[in-house]
Amino acid sequence: MNHDPFAWGRPLNETYGEYNYNIANASSVTSHRNPKMATQQPIVTGSSVLAIKFKDGVIMAADNLASYGSLARFDNVERLLQVGKDTIVGCSGDISDFQKIERLLDDLEIEDGYDIENYELKANHIHEYLSRVFYNRRSKMDPLWNSCLVGGFDADSGEPFLKYVDLLGVTYGADSLATGFGSHLAIPLLRKKLDSDDAVKNLTEEEGIKLISECMKVLYYRDARSLDKYSLAIIKKDDVKLIKGLRCEDMSWRFASGIRGYGN
Amino acid sequence: MSASSFAEGKATIASEYSSEVRREPIEHQFNPYSDNGGTILGIAGKDFAVLAGDTRHTTGYSINSRYEPKVFDAGDGFLISANGFSADGNALVKRFQNQLKWYHFNHGKKMGIRSGARFIQHLLYGKRFFPYYVHTIIAGLDEEGKGAVFSFDPIGSYEREQCRAGGSAASLIMPFLDNQVNFKNQLDPESNGTKKKELRYLSLEEVLKLVKDSFSSATERHILVGDGLEIMIVTKEGVRTEYYPLKKD
Amino acid sequence: MFLTRSEYDRGVSTFSPEGRLFQVEYSSEAIKLGSTAIGIATSEGVVLGVEKKVTSSLLESSSIEKIVEIDTHIGCAMSGLTPDARSMIDHARVSSLNHNLYYDEKIGVESLTQSVCDLALRFGEGASGEKRLMSRPFGVALLIAGIDEENGPQLYHAEPSGTFYRYDAKAIGSGSEGAQSELQNEYHSSLTLKEAELLILKVLKQVMEEKLDSNNAQLASVTKEHGFRIYKDEETAKIIEQLAENEADEPES
Repeated sequence: MNHDPFAWGRPLNETYGEYNYNIANASSVTSHRNPKMATQQPIVTGSSVLAIKFKDGVIMAADNLASYGSLARFDNVERLLQVGKDTIVGCSGDISDFQKIERLLDDLEIEDGYDIENYELKANHIHEYLSRVFYNRRSKMDPLWNSCLVGGFDADSGEPFLKYVDLLGVTYGADSLATGFGSHLAIPLLRKKLDSDDAVKNLTEEEGIKLISECMKVLYYRDARSLDKYSLAIIKKDDVKLIKGLRCEDMSWRFASGIRGYGN
Repeated sequence: MSASSFAEGKATIASEYSSEVRREPIEHQFNPYSDNGGTILGIAGKDFAVLAGDTRHTTGYSINSRYEPKVFDAGDGFLISANGFSADGNALVKRFQNQLKWYHFNHGKKMGIRSGARFIQHLLYGKRFFPYYVHTIIAGLDEEGKGAVFSFDPIGSYEREQCRAGGSAASLIMPFLDNQVNFKNQLDPESNGTKKKELRYLSLEEVLKLVKDSFSSATERHILVGDGLEIMIVTKEGVRTEYYPLKKD
Repeated sequence: MFLTRSEYDRGVSTFSPEGRLFQVEYSSEAIKLGSTAIGIATSEGVVLGVEKKVTSSLLESSSIEKIVEIDTHIGCAMSGLTPDARSMIDHARVSSLNHNLYYDEKIGVESLTQSVCDLALRFGEGASGEKRLMSRPFGVALLIAGIDEENGPQLYHAEPSGTFYRYDAKAIGSGSEGAQSELQNEYHSSLTLKEAELLILKVLKQVMEEKLDSNNAQLASVTKEHGFRIYKDEETAKIIEQLAENEADEPES
């Protein structure tokens, strides 16, 4: 055995020949001769986050599953995070990176509280901050592997605020947003309802919740990495209700051939 | 250790892996870029300039937003748009606006359009080896009050032009502009096909017509263009914005 | 240990109890030992003039360089420890060139002066981690003359303390006191470039110990037409001649 402290426990080269890093793909972990490796892929992941604006604010939802590849690894994970008085950040993608974001936003909130008394972090501030973090990390080729939605209110106009930001630093805003599979499955349903500014102004809280929970059901039907247990956030001025442990209800798992719309 | 020594492959004694050649980690690299579609268009007139862009924001075949502005009034009568990878585009515009403030602090005067153009070249070339993936166009008035449009490639080559289209549908719009703004391939009807049509400045009304036609046509033929058209117009009176809906399909 | 008053001039950036930086104040004294330099700004352009102390008849007077070009539109005259001006002028030339590179325009005269003055305080460490560049403050003052789009012809006086002021007419160096009061009397806003050239030589003549000639005086100007230009000796000689004629016409009062 090699007793050199930097190669302790390795077989001696003289006896066994040079160490083969190919065995068990040891190269990426063991070899300090390889370049520094940043996150190359997400490991434990969360699926879609959904969000819509309604007449009094924003409604957001995300299920409680964290998958390890195709394994449903954790089934009680909270992916909606409250920041400040009336902002929610919803995150999909790598959960450990999300936890890093949680810490960053926590620090931000504390710093903000120290520096300016009574000053309030609003959704647009949080979004701007996150977009800089994401963009700077992607520019270092060491991204935080997430897609986030930030819902709340704009500091200047006081209007409902909803914007997206992802691992590349790409940002955009709309009346209805979704990450992951939600952008394919839920967005068409959400846009059907919220097709104009007036539609947003007229959408009540009850209608909004119904719309979102309907989409969570669709996602549980069709997204293999989703769960029927989810959290819902209703964001109104100075008032956030974060409802945890909701279930997708009235679902039908009969054979497809027996369901209306599948060829009969 | 150099890459070549990996390729040689060091034999391992008494191992079934001994015949294998050592490889670098499997190439699965993070791609720091994406394409967010959209198209932009700048035209300079006698005493005005316009810079227009559609408001659709996409990744792949998904429409992310139907209204995400990408043409900005940077101050000092500058219109700027950086079309392509939107995160880079926004970063470039923000950096420019920031540096414009510093220019005011340091030199106590308005920045001229030429200075702005040269400065953007340096912002772009500064990232020559990790470029901003954008086609940049700026518009404004020059020191004589004439309309000016400058266009840039992703690494900072730039040129002053009468008109320029950038982004996804640039190749659809640019030939149309060549014909309608610079009268390319047009002959003077009086000359019986012997003289080229003489160049003249277009009026703002004519230019706005061309812009709207360019975008509604690009919307028909290009899937990444549509939803809305935002036109910014700069004259000596200042900057104003107009919005026209485009087809959402 | 309590420091006696005189010990506050040891450290370059140590305040005295009265709030003075002695080394900086002393550096201004170094300029008063230097040869006289004068600048006048007119609406047609700026004129600079310096006295060259030719200390030996064997000294080649053209090797005394007290007026230098910074860029095509800016030049400067110096007084004091002239070698100190080398790094300032280097810095000024780089600033001007860089500005042109980054902004495709000529740098403003005030901006240029500011950038030179930024350098003046680098005998101490910067607030944002800038390295200490020099062991002591500069021992030289500059008269920076230039022309730009925004403010036309301008004359600035840059001191070793890092402060700078814009002047219509300014004299620095050993003869500055007398020269400045003479400028005060003679300056008016409708002065032409020709008149300014004559005035500078007239004032120099008054404060110089030696007899004024094209060997021990040098002129330069910055105008819209020609930019910065150092006058040839023959040209200076002609103006000196002109000056002598003028004085002959109107006998001294």
